[in-house]
Amino acid sequence: MKLLEYEAKQVFSEYGISVPKSVLIKSPEELQARINAIGDSFVLKAQVDVGGRGKAGGILMADPATGTAVARELFAKEIKGLPVKEVLAEERLDISQEYYLSIAIDRSSKQALILFADAGGVDIETLAREKPEAVRRVSIPVIMHELPPFMLRELLGRAPKEVGAVINRLYRAFCEKDALLAEINPLVTTPSGVYAADAKLIIDDNALGRQGITLNRDLTERERQAEQHGFSYVELSGDIGVIGNGAGLTMATLDLIEYYDGRAANFLDVGGGAEQERVMHAVRLVAGVPSVKVIIVNLLGGITRCDEVAKGIISAQIDQKVIVRLAGTNEEEGRHLLGQAGYRMLDTMEQAVKAAVEATR
Amino acid sequence: MIYGDKKTGIIVQGATGRQGAFHIALMNEYAAGVGGKGVVAGVTPGKGGQEIHGVPVYNSIREAMKDHDASVQVVFVPAQAAGDSIMEAANAGIELVVAITEHIPVHDTMKAVSFATLNGCAVIGPNCPGLLSPGEVKMGIMPAQLFSRGNIGVISRSGTLTYEIVDELTRAGLGQSTVVGIGGDPVIGQTFVDVLGRFEEDPLTKAVVLIGEVGGALEEEGARFTDLPIVSYIAGVSAPPDKRMGHAGAIIEGGEGDARSKIARLKSLGVPVASRPSEIPRLIKEIM
Repeated sequence: MKLLEYEAKQVFSEYGISVPKSVLIKSPEELQARINAIGDSFVLKAQVDVGGRGKAGGILMADPATGTAVARELFAKEIKGLPVKEVLAEERLDISQEYYLSIAIDRSSKQALILFADAGGVDIETLAREKPEAVRRVSIPVIMHELPPFMLRELLGRAPKEVGAVINRLYRAFCEKDALLAEINPLVTTPSGVYAADAKLIIDDNALGRQGITLNRDLTERERQAEQHGFSYVELSGDIGVIGNGAGLTMATLDLIEYYDGRAANFLDVGGGAEQERVMHAVRLVAGVPSVKVIIVNLLGGITRCDEVAKGIISAQIDQKVIVRLAGTNEEEGRHLLGQAGYRMLDTMEQAVKAAVEATR
Repeated sequence: MIYGDKKTGIIVQGATGRQGAFHIALMNEYAAGVGGKGVVAGVTPGKGGQEIHGVPVYNSIREAMKDHDASVQVVFVPAQAAGDSIMEAANAGIELVVAITEHIPVHDTMKAVSFATLNGCAVIGPNCPGLLSPGEVKMGIMPAQLFSRGNIGVISRSGTLTYEIVDELTRAGLGQSTVVGIGGDPVIGQTFVDVLGRFEEDPLTKAVVLIGEVGGALEEEGARFTDLPIVSYIAGVSAPPDKRMGHAGAIIEGGEGDARSKIARLKSLGVPVASRPSEIPRLIKEIM
């Protein structure tokens, strides 16, 4: 789950990383009363979870005279389609130098990968592509609690030592908070010290419980419902509802739909052991998406009992057409049940996908 | 054969849970059919002394290994405790851990895999269906009836998609040497490179199918590493960026790991890439 900037800054400051003085406001009117806490010159930053927020108009300069009007302007905006519900009013820093710092998980080395660059506020992918020598990187073995000094020297180059302390603090936060990504962009030096001017923190969804997070905000309402049933669910924009078992097979089903020029409305992986009730809930959930005209159910596996799946589909009692591809135990019984209830059961996933795409024409 | 054969003894951690118990029975059914050793013991802390489908259960892996000759452990332990189980096995001298468990926090996996590596123990998974060498051994949850013995190796980040492709291969008369599900998480133990390394040492394997998906660059690393003839299929061509497609590892982040650029890189390495699973048998026949 992605934390918002102010939440990430709160976490970073718990680990001893300095952040600018700030107040969080939920309406433009709140600003005036709390302005004293942050000084004469400040920035207003929309707390929305999008990349390129500044370029999209989500960050505005202000002072005490103009503050409320600027805040009003910001609250009225949509930043890349997202409404602005919270704004962070933050002191303007007297910046001497900007840097880029991030810690992420490197799949290849199975370790944390730390990136550091002498330029801040940058799009790191672009910088890495265009000026690879500007981005320095180290992988740190998981057994280490902090970076050995040589690694810090490699990362820092000519950057001041105080920045090295921030790297170690951020690494501790990264490990203890089950982060997939911890990023400070820009990390800035000022006459009064080193500050995280922006902050990004993504927590591993599989560790939310032990991090004390009960609600995954990244999910839409329907995705949350799906999660409660133990499904993996992603909303897409087409008209073919997709139910599969296993992430790979479900993804391959979506790809085949695209291959045959159809458009999938969703990704739903029912997971293992698809019994009657689970299948029924899955079918109803997908049928509840207004754009869905037809549903394809593609289930394969040794454990999956086709008669159970068939009963689940039939008991869902939905309006849309359902096209079924089933392979597993009790295949014949499943076929018989579905046939009696007027459903089509096809032998291969390609046949099923073609039939589903045709049904939307 | 890679990773094990008929003579390989298996211990199941999480033996008394629903999944563990169910798959002990299936693994031993398979072992009985091929004359293999199969699951010799189960482990669930606090439940020692029971029997699950005739298999004795112990409180710890060390106790189980005192009484039984085993080199492989299959893990069905719930996510929050699974990292610990992997480390316990590695510490007790197990050579290969197959971690079926899904939803293990990635920091736990990094620690467990690192710990296992330091102890000379290989980890397959987590979040994987395990592996199956037709006619020899099954470690995990793959549905054996779809498999046939032959000389095609299969390595996959997926479960059911692997079965789909194995089914296609079997129907086309292309038997498999060993099929390995390496897992759908961002951090996994054995990667394409590691398994390809084993296949290169395996006299039975003549060609390999590499089944990948969006996220990361492990498929390309594998393709670059090996001299074996390989064909590939990559799932997720239609996956939108920044959305996790079921597998924790199946996500396109920061422009990295999308299917089209992955396919382009594989093709530039000379690897034929199927645009549909059903094309794989034809591509395999072409390179053999």
